Amino acid sequence: MKTVPPATAPPPSRHRPLWRRANIPAGAGAALWLAIVLIPLYILVSATLRTREDYLERGALALPTAPSVESYRRVLAGDFLTYLFNTVVVTAACAALVVVLAVTVAYSVVRTRNAASRRVFQLFLLGLAIPSQAVIIPVYLIITELNFYDTLAAVILPTAAFALPVGVLILVGTMRDIDEETYESMALDGAGPLRTLLNLTVPMSRAGIATVGVFSALQAWNGFLFPFLLTQSRDTRVLTLGLYDYVGEFRVDVPALLAAVVLSVVPIFAAYLLARRQLVNGLMGVGGR
Amino acid sequence: MPFDLHPRLRTPAATLAGAVLLAGTLAACGSGGPSRAQTLEVWTYQDASTHIQAEAVERFNETSDVQLELVEIPGANYQERMRTAMGTPNAPDIFFNWGSGSISDFVQQDMLVDLTDTLAETEELRDAFVPTVLAAAEVDGGVYGVPMRGVQPVILFYNTELFEQVGAEPPTTWEEMTELIEVFQEEDITPVALGGADAWTSLMWLEYLLDRIGGPEVWQRIETGEAEAWGDPAVEAAAQTALDLIDDGAFGSTFLSNAYTNDGVSTYFAQGRAAMHLMGSWEYGSQLANAEEFARERLGYSTFPVFSDGAGDASAIVGNPNNYWSVNSELEGERLDAALEFLKHTTDDDYLSALVTNGDIPGTAGVDDRLDDHPDPEFARFQYDLITEASAFTQSWDQALPNRAATEMMNAVDDLFSGGLTAQEFADTLRGVS
Amino acid sequence: MSAPPPIPASARRAESPHPSSPAPVAGRRRARDTGRPGVLWAVPGLLFFGLFAAAPMVLVAWLSFTSWDGLSAPAWSGTENWSRLWSDPAMHRALRLSLLLTLLSWAFQTPVALLLGVWSAGHQRSRAVLSAVFFLPLLASSVALALVWRSILDPNFGLAADVARWLELGDANVLGSQRGALLAVAFVAAWQFIPFHALLYQGGARQIPRSLYDAASIDGAGTVRQFFAVTLPQLRNTAVTSSVLMVVGSLTYFETVLILTGGGPGSATTIVPYLMYETGFRAFDLGYASAVATSLVVVATGVSLLMVRLTGFGRMRSTREGM
Repeated sequence: MKTVPPATAPPPSRHRPLWRRANIPAGAGAALWLAIVLIPLYILVSATLRTREDYLERGALALPTAPSVESYRRVLAGDFLTYLFNTVVVTAACAALVVVLAVTVAYSVVRTRNAASRRVFQLFLLGLAIPSQAVIIPVYLIITELNFYDTLAAVILPTAAFALPVGVLILVGTMRDIDEETYESMALDGAGPLRTLLNLTVPMSRAGIATVGVFSALQAWNGFLFPFLLTQSRDTRVLTLGLYDYVGEFRVDVPALLAAVVLSVVPIFAAYLLARRQLVNGLMGVGGR
Repeated sequence: MPFDLHPRLRTPAATLAGAVLLAGTLAACGSGGPSRAQTLEVWTYQDASTHIQAEAVERFNETSDVQLELVEIPGANYQERMRTAMGTPNAPDIFFNWGSGSISDFVQQDMLVDLTDTLAETEELRDAFVPTVLAAAEVDGGVYGVPMRGVQPVILFYNTELFEQVGAEPPTTWEEMTELIEVFQEEDITPVALGGADAWTSLMWLEYLLDRIGGPEVWQRIETGEAEAWGDPAVEAAAQTALDLIDDGAFGSTFLSNAYTNDGVSTYFAQGRAAMHLMGSWEYGSQLANAEEFARERLGYSTFPVFSDGAGDASAIVGNPNNYWSVNSELEGERLDAALEFLKHTTDDDYLSALVTNGDIPGTAGVDDRLDDHPDPEFARFQYDLITEASAFTQSWDQALPNRAATEMMNAVDDLFSGGLTAQEFADTLRGVS
Repeated sequence: MSAPPPIPASARRAESPHPSSPAPVAGRRRARDTGRPGVLWAVPGLLFFGLFAAAPMVLVAWLSFTSWDGLSAPAWSGTENWSRLWSDPAMHRALRLSLLLTLLSWAFQTPVALLLGVWSAGHQRSRAVLSAVFFLPLLASSVALALVWRSILDPNFGLAADVARWLELGDANVLGSQRGALLAVAFVAAWQFIPFHALLYQGGARQIPRSLYDAASIDGAGTVRQFFAVTLPQLRNTAVTSSVLMVVGSLTYFETVLILTGGGPGSATTIVPYLMYETGFRAFDLGYASAVATSLVVVATGVSLLMVRLTGFGRMRSTREGM
């Protein structure tokens, strides 16, 4: 099949009426959606700068006339940093596990051309369809049997396992784009599978590996169900579960609750500013090429 | 070379080993802390009173070889989390609970230490507790818990300023109650604050209504497993009365989206937007913490009104007789001795006075001479009389029933209050529960 | 006009790992085979995935035939759970609500995501900047967003109370009314997930060959006609992918329901995953909850297989195109 050249980043052209004329309905629609997105975000941020009394009295929309960082101080004085640390550990471990396993699986799928490797790939494709919620009961059973209940491993292992299919899918796509000829010249040099992987496949799949890393990191950072049902104590609490528990702790202190929300998003927001493309790719679970 | 793996195997095997190692390390750093053998995990529900248990643990650790570690579990779902953990090797050694239904599953599986003999043989504990309080820790004839907090009767709180404004007294009969509801509605004040998003707050109304209409015996029959008792006409009548309250606008129009657990309802009540609030005695303490002026100046309290043709009397109360420490039956030897030793401290002087100073009425006998230490001695006396003179003390239904039945009952209560069930359908649904 | 969008060559190769080229000569074959990893390289990944994702699938099906309270060992109970499931009004209701929520989500998210995606595919600077803002909700967890929306929808202290007052609507009983609560869940989920689907459409729209617009322009088609005549048909496959992901996704909203409504009022938002949680980890009727969960797996797998059948799994790759 002939591939039509896509219109990615074409030079501005008089022949593109779709984008040339000012499109008023589209602009109005975009403005409306902008309001729908921004108003909650405004409330989120402005509320955190107000006091509890001020929020209860003057309503959600009022401007923070006397901005105060008391809410943030209150959150940080609690166990927030413990939760943050746990989340960082879970996120890093998850990303590392998924990257290592997805690379080996994808490498084997792409470079071993037999029925077995095809089956492996199909199995992982099917894995895409398993909703993690549906298997939480047996996962609880397995984690309990392994004596991992209420440890960070209880969160890391299933989270990584459920991110693995997407990781394999992305990397199989990326690795297939590497030329057969390059492999052949490696082979003529007498390189074994490990050297080929490390010297050729991994460097050539860097973008895909980054995407897989970001994707699994995000899954771990934002995951809730596994920590919710598989951990209990403060020492193993991650941020999402911490946020959920703050409802009971901060009660009607909406500013403090929302300050915790803001603080939990800040690291990802920073990543968004610094590496928007990789982050969006990771969010979408799309192959970075 | 027997251990030389085929080259194709080497890397995957190394990866797997790495992954397993990683998992193991993480597991180790997750459970952390000193070795479990010498430490007992003590679980408690985290709230404003937790510091009392923390201090008790600290005092105990000073003199004991076996150390205790207090784990505070926050949030509304303590019961679920504790129940989930009990099915794992990480189950707590000593834990906070509500007695009866909240522990009956564990008793059936022999997972708790039977404390009957301990209570009878230990000087500090023998005859220390009010019998109705201890009764809720009894399952299948054994005692499985020791009271460790305050008695929490459900009380009708009201805003004295709003009552003065309309020239009313707290209602003592149901007729007065319905009249008051009309009066407050005309004044554009929500007559009764209700956090219907948390079904257990709605449940309090049903508990009192059933008691006042049918008498405490109806619930006692249900509690002992007689499912047909749900068919008692008083159940349907209580449900119908609740529906009438809703229809008359007693709870306002947003009660289903109001939550108690985020203090939304208490704040609404403290702001003077609602006249009455039926809630556990802990409401006093939380108002004192969040809206001190309101708690000191305008917070009144009263008993639930009676029905002239009802079987219940004004002195019967519902609520939580107490919270209890239970002990995991996995413990043995030195660790078991330490756990039992810790239980004794629930009746020592420091502990009891900490409770009273905190605003709790302990479930021990003869605390009346301590009541002057209470932050509000008048409220303390009111509660103390309520408890000691109660003709019946009905335990909160959701704590009295085992998890499965309690969940189904709570769903039915939720459905009733949100208009999904009629009073008759409610009774019919519940008949299928036990 | 109806030419399918390009599928990346790599995706098509995924369908046939065996190259269809004529058999290579013997010497070349040897060169090709040295340095190839065996299928054993996939074993660690497989074992890991098997233990924590695939084995639970089998296990949940087995558990659905047991009675298990989480304390003692699961006891075989035959088809009891399944016959109960079949006639359980709560399950019927949860299924109905799940389907309704899925439908609502799809009907709300698709048009908005489509328009936003096509709009943001433009290369104007202003659009790029605004798109960056539009995608902000994607960064936060479902838990964080549900908490924010819960505060906003609070009937007494949230924005909802203010809005109701300004518009003189009376009380802001959004989360307390049967319909309002379900709509709120659908809306909050849409607010969260529309950016994701807009990104899909953005990618799709950027793949549309410019020549098609040029031709339409020569025919005298205006912006609106070009949208309907060129953009929409060209995005058909993107729409299929996006819709399938939406459907599977909305079958599994859980955090949003847990935090926003707790399944209520009554059981107005008790969708299947929430019912599973409530049965399993509140009533601790884990056997029956496993039957509920298994039916969730069956539905989700069914939808996914349907997707594979209808579009070929290469299309799965095509969701990842043009980025």
